[in-house]
Amino acid sequence: MIELKGATKMYELGGEKIYALDHVDLKVDKGDFIAIVGPSGSGKSTLANIIGGLDVPDEGEVLVDDVNIAKVNDATISNYRNKKIGFIFQSFNLQPTYTALENVMIPLIFSGISLSQRKKRAFECLKAVGLEDRVSHMPNQLSGGQRQRVCIARALANNPEVIIADEPTGNLDSKKGIEIVELLKELNQKSGITLVVITHDPGVARQAKRVVEIKDGRIR
Amino acid sequence: MRFFDYIRLALKNLTRQKARTTLTIIAITVGSLSLILMISILISVRQSLMDTFKAMGAFNLVTVVRDPNSIDNTNLIGSGNNSPTDDNTKKIDDTTLAAVKKMPGVSDAVAIPAGPWFKTMRLDGNDKKTWSSLLASDPSADVFDLILVAGRKLNSTDMDKVVVGSDFLTKYGDPSNPSGLLGKKVLFSSDKGAGYPDWGDLPPKPPFNADKSWWDSQNQGSLEISAEIVGVANNSSMDSQQNYITLGWAHKLMTQLTWQEDDNGMKECQQQQQQQQQAVKMSGNYSNNNSSACDSFRTMTLVKTDNFLTNGYGSIIAKVYDTSKIQSVADQITKLGYGAVTAQNMIDNINNAMLMVGIVLSVIGGISLFVAAIGIINTMVMATFERIREIGVMRACGATRAIIRRLFTFEAALLGFWGGVFGLVISFILVRVVKILVTKYGASLGNLPISNIGNFPWWLVVSVIVFTTLIGMLSGLGPAIRAARLNPVDALRYE
Ligand SMILES: Nc1ncnc2c1ncn2[C@@H]1O[C@H](COP(=O)(O)OP(=O)(O)O)[C@@H](O)[C@H]1O
Ligand SMILES: [Mg+2]
Repeated sequence: MIELKGATKMYELGGEKIYALDHVDLKVDKGDFIAIVGPSGSGKSTLANIIGGLDVPDEGEVLVDDVNIAKVNDATISNYRNKKIGFIFQSFNLQPTYTALENVMIPLIFSGISLSQRKKRAFECLKAVGLEDRVSHMPNQLSGGQRQRVCIARALANNPEVIIADEPTGNLDSKKGIEIVELLKELNQKSGITLVVITHDPGVARQAKRVVEIKDGRIR
Repeated sequence: MRFFDYIRLALKNLTRQKARTTLTIIAITVGSLSLILMISILISVRQSLMDTFKAMGAFNLVTVVRDPNSIDNTNLIGSGNNSPTDDNTKKIDDTTLAAVKKMPGVSDAVAIPAGPWFKTMRLDGNDKKTWSSLLASDPSADVFDLILVAGRKLNSTDMDKVVVGSDFLTKYGDPSNPSGLLGKKVLFSSDKGAGYPDWGDLPPKPPFNADKSWWDSQNQGSLEISAEIVGVANNSSMDSQQNYITLGWAHKLMTQLTWQEDDNGMKECQQQQQQQQQAVKMSGNYSNNNSSACDSFRTMTLVKTDNFLTNGYGSIIAKVYDTSKIQSVADQITKLGYGAVTAQNMIDNINNAMLMVGIVLSVIGGISLFVAAIGIINTMVMATFERIREIGVMRACGATRAIIRRLFTFEAALLGFWGGVFGLVISFILVRVVKILVTKYGASLGNLPISNIGNFPWWLVVSVIVFTTLIGMLSGLGPAIRAARLNPVDALRYE
């Protein structure tokens, strides 16, 4: 479904080239559950962002259903993120002035859905993550685990094919972390959503169908 | 993304920083307020001038004046200037009047004399004096459309009859009962030593040996001439201090009566005496020569000096069938060597003056709006910096660069929009308050037609809101473009 061919991302710092990603080839199949592991600064986030269309490689191709999204215009790649990808962040990135429901509604705004439909769909997503009684809560009125659930609900809003989670348990205690991973795993198994999870936690990686180890921008 | 969601999101974001949003809107409000008030004062002044002209029928009138270069705007309907010293100007007389009447396009024309020159006038039995202002014309000419509120119009044969105007009515009569003035007398006083007109008392005949002191005493007295009020006109929209008399009477009032010594008889007598003396001399018979013997032949005759014959009329006012004929009639008049004054001249001048005032006011309003625009830019730059992470999240959730750009431009446009709306609302209230104060305390704003100010035409309301919204949009465009250019990965990582 998603295929990286020779994806390369480099940064120039003080005249020196740093390869965040160095000719990476990777295939992400439908219904897959991939764990990306590796030391800090090895290029995990860069890889995930390129898969999710948030970043584009300097070299190589990112084929999504045989279309190289590294070369399409902003509207097309934005639509790809909106419809096919759901992002989950380590630091949640919830809008502090929005309620849980309004946070989940954000991706739906950009798909041009009416307000009433948005509310309905956002509520469904919150219900799916077990937060139907926290709909009107502000993020600072929620615990860390609940916040990450809101984040998952937001990622689910547009029925994505792929969820990309960049260290989703990094800011949570181990008990809450396990709950979140269980929730994601359930989504993968029951709804067939493809999972790409970046993690430091070997316990999380063990749950995955496939583990991709990355070091210095290269897959081992 | 739906249009309405842009507004919803922009409103939501603006209410997030209430104090900052309020201050920014106040700045725009002040800017648009000054602009609105200035423009509405400008258009209402212009409108009231145009209304006055229209009420006067000025758009159908051409005034013939002596000076071909004259653009004497104050005299469109007036007596013009016929001071005899203007020798390079052409006299306006009945021949001119006939020529003007015959011009194609002219429906009728009326001659206006420069006088009569009275100094003051008052109502008989009332000591209050006011400056005399008389307009004499031939009542049979169909040029002005005087609206009477009481009495009758003048007839061509009327002598010592006057139709008084609005100012006279408010000063000496009861505006709710204009008929009360009918039949009463107006007394016109001439200047000291102005002499005697061909109306009323004859000047006293000077004695034989009148010396300087006698003539001086004559110059001390001023004359009072009375006229009966036969009508009261409502001329408040034109020339409210004007009162009206007939041309015939004006002719008489402007004709001077003076005594002059007629010494023809005396000279004849003296000649005869000389001849007799010569005859006597030749015969050698001398007799005593008596020079005063002929004094009894000296006589005084009354001489009339007709000002019309010597100086002509002050002006001629021609009425044209159609406003579009004005220019061609004016051209024909200038071809005759006279000056032609039309309402177009005045409108041109007013427009020019208004343009200058407008430019100055726009610069002032522009500066205040420029300051407001800087406020918007500042607000939007701050807003984009505060929301970098949010921008990253929105991009991750599928927002295009264009959506981000439009979101921030919408916010800025909304600031401008509200500034314009509040500017309009406040100026509307302000004008109402001023109007109430003015009517309550009877204060005057000079010649400013306050009744018109604040009747904002719809196009002003619309264009002010469009203008301030546009200013907001343009001010927000820079910050919005920068926000849209942000790399989403960097934005999400921003602390
Ligand atoms: N904007 C950037 N400018 C310079 N270097 C960057 C930038 N983003 C990432 N890098 C570098 O790329 C490498 C990979 O980063 P990242 O993918 O975030 O690693 P990880 O997520 O595995 O910790 C790191 O060495 C990092 O310093
Ligand atoms: Mg990382």
